[in-house]
Amino acid sequence: MKTIAKKDVKALLSLWTKEYHVLAPCRTARGDFIFADFSEESFTLDYKKPPLPPKSVFLPHTEVIFTVENGQFKETVTAHNVVLFGIRSCDMMGILQCTSFMTRDRNDIYYSTKNAMARTVVMACPGPQNETCFCTTTFSGPVAHKGFDLLFYDMGESFIIQTGSKRGEDILMSGPLSDIDNAVARRKIEAFTKQAVENIPVVDEITEAMTRLESGNVDEKIWEHFGQKCIVCGGCAFVCPTCTCFNVYDHESSPGHGIRARAWDACLYGGFTREASGHNPRATQASRLQRRHEHKLLYYNDTDVQGGLCGCVGCGRCSDYCPVRIGTLEVAKALVSN
Amino acid sequence: MTNSINEFEDADLFLVTGSNTTAQHPLIGSRIINAKERGAKLLLIDPRAIQFAQFADLHLRQNIGTDVAVLNGMMNIIIEENLYDRTFVEERTEGFDQLKSVTSRYTPRVVERISGISAADLEKAARMYATSDKAMLVYCMGITQHTTGTDNVKSCANLAMLTGHIGRPSTGVNPLRGQNNVQGACDMGALPNVYSGYQPVTDTAIKKKFEDAWGVQVLDDKVGLTVTEMMIAVRKEEIKSLYIMGENPMMSDPDTSHIDHALSHLEFLVVQDIFLSETAAKADVVLPAASFAEKEGTFTNTERRVQISKKAVPPPGLARPDWEIICEVSRLAGYAMDYTSPADIMREINTLTPSYAGITYRRLEQSYGIQWPCPNEEHPGTPYLHRDRFTKGRGTFLPCDFKPVAEVPDEEYDFLLTTGRIYYHYHTGTMTRRISILEREAPVPMIEINPEDAKRLSIKNNDTVEITSRRGVIKARAEVTGRVPRKVVFSTFHFHEAPVNLLTNPALDPLAKIPEYKGCAVKVRRCV
Amino acid sequence: MARTPSICPFCGCGCEFYLASHGGRVVGIEPSPSNPVNKGMLCAKGWNAYEFIHSPDRLTKPLVRKHGTLVESSWEEALKTVAGKLTEIKSQYGPRALAFLSSAKVTNEENYLFMKMARAVFGTNNVDHCARL
Ligand code: SF4
Ligand code: SF4
Ligand code: SF4
Repeated sequence: MKTIAKKDVKALLSLWTKEYHVLAPCRTARGDFIFADFSEESFTLDYKKPPLPPKSVFLPHTEVIFTVENGQFKETVTAHNVVLFGIRSCDMMGILQCTSFMTRDRNDIYYSTKNAMARTVVMACPGPQNETCFCTTTFSGPVAHKGFDLLFYDMGESFIIQTGSKRGEDILMSGPLSDIDNAVARRKIEAFTKQAVENIPVVDEITEAMTRLESGNVDEKIWEHFGQKCIVCGGCAFVCPTCTCFNVYDHESSPGHGIRARAWDACLYGGFTREASGHNPRATQASRLQRRHEHKLLYYNDTDVQGGLCGCVGCGRCSDYCPVRIGTLEVAKALVSN
Repeated sequence: MTNSINEFEDADLFLVTGSNTTAQHPLIGSRIINAKERGAKLLLIDPRAIQFAQFADLHLRQNIGTDVAVLNGMMNIIIEENLYDRTFVEERTEGFDQLKSVTSRYTPRVVERISGISAADLEKAARMYATSDKAMLVYCMGITQHTTGTDNVKSCANLAMLTGHIGRPSTGVNPLRGQNNVQGACDMGALPNVYSGYQPVTDTAIKKKFEDAWGVQVLDDKVGLTVTEMMIAVRKEEIKSLYIMGENPMMSDPDTSHIDHALSHLEFLVVQDIFLSETAAKADVVLPAASFAEKEGTFTNTERRVQISKKAVPPPGLARPDWEIICEVSRLAGYAMDYTSPADIMREINTLTPSYAGITYRRLEQSYGIQWPCPNEEHPGTPYLHRDRFTKGRGTFLPCDFKPVAEVPDEEYDFLLTTGRIYYHYHTGTMTRRISILEREAPVPMIEINPEDAKRLSIKNNDTVEITSRRGVIKARAEVTGRVPRKVVFSTFHFHEAPVNLLTNPALDPLAKIPEYKGCAVKVRRCV
Repeated sequence: MARTPSICPFCGCGCEFYLASHGGRVVGIEPSPSNPVNKGMLCAKGWNAYEFIHSPDRLTKPLVRKHGTLVESSWEEALKTVAGKLTEIKSQYGPRALAFLSSAKVTNEENYLFMKMARAVFGTNNVDHCARL
């Protein structure tokens, strides 16, 4: 296996930028953490999970999918050779989940082309990245077990790098790397993982909420309580690494000319399920929230719907970024509280 | 706002009136909901049963336009029951005796007759507000958009001073500003009576300062006209030309036919905007402007926080940022404006505007904004105002008497129409109605009508109804809902298909010159 | 893909978000995680504040009314018309025959310049904005 000194990571990423579009954690002038184009000045290894998960790279918030000129349509599939550096294990699982959904029945070429051209470099978490992490409950972290091209383990002054694919090996062909004995590396990784798992407690309420939802042993009033306070921002769907719903819109610039684009949509919006007649099968905010959380928690491990992956990868973002605290954690706690 | 958005997280009680906070200021609304969950109290005074009504510990549904009576009534009880903050009143205010003598006329019984609020509820409300430690008073257009708007605002301030709920964290009088830079437009002196930083045009020293800085011989020392007065002056042909930047008075101003008529009177109309709005369509020259994403500049939010916004994409076609267009027009009119960037303009603002003196681009780039007043570059900014003293020293109580809405319903026009916004749209809809998801959520203009009234008029949900005032008529779909009380209908001004301001009354508040959007007499019938 | 800090163009809360852009188009919105106003959150309007920017209805050229209809013109012609006409009206009827309406939707710098133009260039205090409305 390879290792790299922490101080040399910048050099490695700079090297990659010659061939790839490198997206990496960055700290802005005023101290915001976001993922952006790698730059030596703003790159940081001391970062938090950003609000948007990596799905935004493969399924951008909004993207033009075809243009029409003189009545002729032309598909626009844009994709780049991307390296996603430093994503967390939960988000890696989120990518797998999205990919499964976007390619299983029908290949969504806009998504899959971008996904195929991306390299994923996962940063294993030594402990929770924020108070809301529960990846050990959803089996999606703190260490990724599949899907990644490279996996970095923090060893203090250096990282041990595990390769997960041929493509991962390829991008490690050169750079300021050294070798480490495989057996030694494996021992260190094992110790790291054991400690990391201990650092992130399992949230029993999530598992119990799953069981309750499955058995239908749920107090309906809970949904009404949450429905009352939801401000219908759609944020919980936008920040969720496993939400992929989109809406389509057209911009006609003149007859025979224009674009069609798609954009993230959220099942929390009433219009999402409103039928042409005006009838809405999810007529109330309570029923929309119920649907969302059943989707995340109830259909767990149901291979038909999720391709064998969790509906929730335990990233905690919906708890961090819901303006009125209706995250999966809060909902699960409410579900089991009586 | 006297206080800051994050202070909502620590308050014990919120008195919310005339603000549909979760719809209009969602991220302030959410803080109030969260505060409720940790045990804070919510006292709502609003004729409509908005989303907050579900959380309110007490919801007073006053008759429209009776706010002064309600607030006076509360103060009367607070004084009678000795619940006011004696030390604060003695040390920091003046005019208590007048306040006492005016409010003493508003006994619970009198208030009940005017406002429809029961004496018991009023007492409860008064006690709740007065006895809380940290109470924030929050209001919005429901308070200001009345012919008695200024009186309403004064009464809110009276109540906060009387109880000492001002000048400390998580208290204060907090008007929420509706548009993203209303605060900044006022701060920058886009007002007929003041230069930037509220420096009066009538003050000779100030006038001199600006004359010197701007290199002009004489500036006018007479107060100019407000927008509503301008429209009247246009009709009288005293104003010949109007230059409108980024506004759409054809949709946003009361009594649209009057505005339409006025604009047609003009010799020359210039409109600078990002869309060909209803107003731009009437212009002699239309100048294409850059949107927020296509230029650099600062905006000031409702808590006086000045924040920087950068250019993300180029403007479409030949469109240009507003500041560049202004520089060009001025240059061609014979006055050189050689700014190279918005930062350059800010440097001039810093030197001429004491409250913005320390708000520089260098600092803004490295922070999440600075709250004015900020008198120098070392000053951290001001999260809440009036800590040790009011701007003028002592705070003066300015008691007001109740006056009814300018146009009271009668036999023919038997409903009160009140207007406002809905969550999914913004202002005259030029931006939000061009966003598919928002348009899907709220595609058609709706008129809210109470179930009892609807039944009497044989109106069902989604029926097309016709609303007529003395000034015009519109059609919209009915939403039969208990959200509005009886004899009141509610609609919004987002939709050009049903421009509700065809109906509204241009009667003005005598001081603030704000029209009475929140109440005018109409009649309602179902279209067949 | 660039990320540019920006302020929500809608209500007075003043939430901050990053505009993600690519090839001259806005492709997404990411709330600022640490701005104390919004802390990584937005409302429905803010989350969806991208689409109108590229609306085909955007004005892209100056328009000047000729024989009753608005026709496309050059900047030079449009600006000369504006400056010329305002100067003419000012000299004929005096500065108070001019009025200026500024905006609660544009920046501080632009509001400042607009009122400066009204006052210093055209000599009138007839300047206001639509905040009351
Ligand atoms: S449901 Fe919430 S915690 Fe689970 S993956 Fe989505 S955002 Fe993360
Ligand atoms: S993030 Fe919260 S408030 Fe927003 S839609 Fe989801 S549950 Fe509702
Ligand atoms: S995101 Fe919503 S709450 Fe925030 S400024 Fe925009 S409109 Fe206001």
